[in-house]
Amino acid sequence: MSDPVNPSVDSPEYPPELARLPPGRHGLPREFVAHNQRERLIAGLAEAVAENGYAGTTIAHITRHAAVSRRTFYEHFNSKDECFVAAYDTVMTELRERVDQAFNEEDEWPQAIRAGLAAMLEFLTAEPHLARLSMVEALVAGPVVVERYDAAIQSLVPYFEAGRKGRSAEVLAGLSPSTEEALIGGMVSLISRRIFADRTEELESLLPDLVEFTLTPYLGSAEAAKVARAA
Amino acid sequence: MAAKSTPRPLPGQHQLPREFIAQHQRARIINALALEVSEKGYRAVTVADIVKRAGIARNTFYENFGSKEDCFLAAQQFAMSAALGRVVEAAGEIDNWPYRVEAGLAAFLGFVAEEPALARTCMVDALAAAPTSVRYYEESLQAFVSLFRLGRDVSPHGQELPDTLEEALIGGVFWILYQRLLLEEPETIGELLPELVEFALTPYLGAEAARAVALEGDGAPPAATSRG
Repeated sequence: MSDPVNPSVDSPEYPPELARLPPGRHGLPREFVAHNQRERLIAGLAEAVAENGYAGTTIAHITRHAAVSRRTFYEHFNSKDECFVAAYDTVMTELRERVDQAFNEEDEWPQAIRAGLAAMLEFLTAEPHLARLSMVEALVAGPVVVERYDAAIQSLVPYFEAGRKGRSAEVLAGLSPSTEEALIGGMVSLISRRIFADRTEELESLLPDLVEFTLTPYLGSAEAAKVARAA
Repeated sequence: MAAKSTPRPLPGQHQLPREFIAQHQRARIINALALEVSEKGYRAVTVADIVKRAGIARNTFYENFGSKEDCFLAAQQFAMSAALGRVVEAAGEIDNWPYRVEAGLAAFLGFVAEEPALARTCMVDALAAAPTSVRYYEESLQAFVSLFRLGRDVSPHGQELPDTLEEALIGGVFWILYQRLLLEEPETIGELLPELVEFALTPYLGAEAARAVALEGDGAPPAATSRG
């Protein structure tokens, strides 16, 4: 439920549909207003970046989209980069929660991978601006964000590593220490290249390919294809 | 070439042909850009940074390149053609596909180890630079796709493999190489060959056959005996 004066991070529309407080007097507690302003600035940055690209975005663009003053911006962030990092973290937290939830709802690991991937693609397709911010503009933003981007990708390793559990010695011998990283790198590359090319709407159609690609080293081609093509 | 061992001449005193100097300057500038970009990211690098690192005059930069972007694109193209040249040279002659992939990957890893900053420009930084560099990136990726795709002919289930398999494999290889480059130990890049070969061949041949090729590890097909 999205309550217009009480935006919740748990709201399914969060963060793009952040509630907007009307400017001026509203009699809300200071703490709350400050928090809300920060969220507005983050949403403002996402909109401004979608419009102008990260390099072309100015603080004026951000404050205009957020409908706050320049001074308010500097009460929350020291620079455009700092605001971007906050926006990036917000998007990744949201994405991560959805993936986690979908993954944990399944009992079997192959189905859990499928569900997690589906949740990720669904989020990115539904939020093309945020997809672009997190997968494309993050690379443009510079070393600080790139470090976070790298860490976010590496943090997916445990989901796949879980697939080693209970495999035969033969299968395990076929997995190298970097198998998970290579699979995730390949997956991210497939996804982000489509976002770069403004073909975000195609992302959901990648699901069967991604499932088969990532499960093959653990299950073998035939079994991976079966899970991938299951409706 | 004699020029290699000649100490750097004082300005105005050198006897080297103009052409040679021009080539040499271009290469220095390109290298300087690649190093700066890998340290600071494309957006933060200025022409002044490049000029300083290359130890040349600002004018010299603009005699060679119109802008930072122009210079980046030249670096990317240089790196792409150097890398692909090596891959083609190493892999082109080999008929047996799995060994062809292995030889191609070995050659590519050799390039990455020798020119880590330049390799980064075409594998990573190109995506953050400019629309044209993204297009070049796609072109270089497609060149590798064609090499991998030949594996469908030797795979027992080649017809059923997902369309995007090759793109995903190359993305995975680039990612592993990039992670290794971040450790700033380019000399260890070659160690990745067996696991990358195995990763790339598994979808086509199955894990066992892929591992067999990877573990032979010399980049050459076995003499006469079959792999079993």
